[in-house]
Amino acid sequence: MRNDIPDRRDETDESQADLAAAVEVTRQTINAIERERYDPSLELAFALADHFDCRIEDMFDPDE
Amino acid sequence: MSEHTTSATARPSTRKRYKRIAYGLLGAGILALWIGIAVDRFVLGVALYWAGGLGMGLVQRFSPVELYDERDGTISRKASQTTMNVFAYVFVLGTPGGLALQESGLVTLPGEFYGATWTLFGVFVVFGASHLYYKRRT
Repeated sequence: MRNDIPDRRDETDESQADLAAAVEVTRQTINAIERERYDPSLELAFALADHFDCRIEDMFDPDE
Repeated sequence: MSEHTTSATARPSTRKRYKRIAYGLLGAGILALWIGIAVDRFVLGVALYWAGGLGMGLVQRFSPVELYDERDGTISRKASQTTMNVFAYVFVLGTPGGLALQESGLVTLPGEFYGATWTLFGVFVVFGASHLYYKRRT
């Protein structure tokens, strides 16, 4: 699923590893989400939205 | 950066460390089994192998961090599904095919064929039972 997580990481100056640890998944999982090869669970999507202080639909675009 | 970042650097290395310990214990158990067979101490080798496997399970169960995340679970489920699909074709097509060839006199099936067939049958019985169990719970 298309997402703007890389842009949000750039804004907060976080690496994939930083974000992965913050939401308690592996760096490979963050990488797979950013490359649109893996769609996160609802729980992880909420954790990501909470981390970036936004709504899930602001971060993910299901139409793409 | 934020407090997230502090735990960020610690947690992956902790996960890796516990994964290494878990797989290391299993690897040591397998090595012990091989050595036990080589030096004709088979029972001791099997005991050490079981201890390694048990140790791996205990580390996975009681490690302070989750060793596998949701993507690992998804990958395992997809791999399991593919494996079951492959063996379903082998079982559904191979078993009657083999028996038909035997009946036609073209081949004489070895005992291993029947052993493999019953093993696959058992696997699918377990799959069906667990499928039913999770269907009722989900």
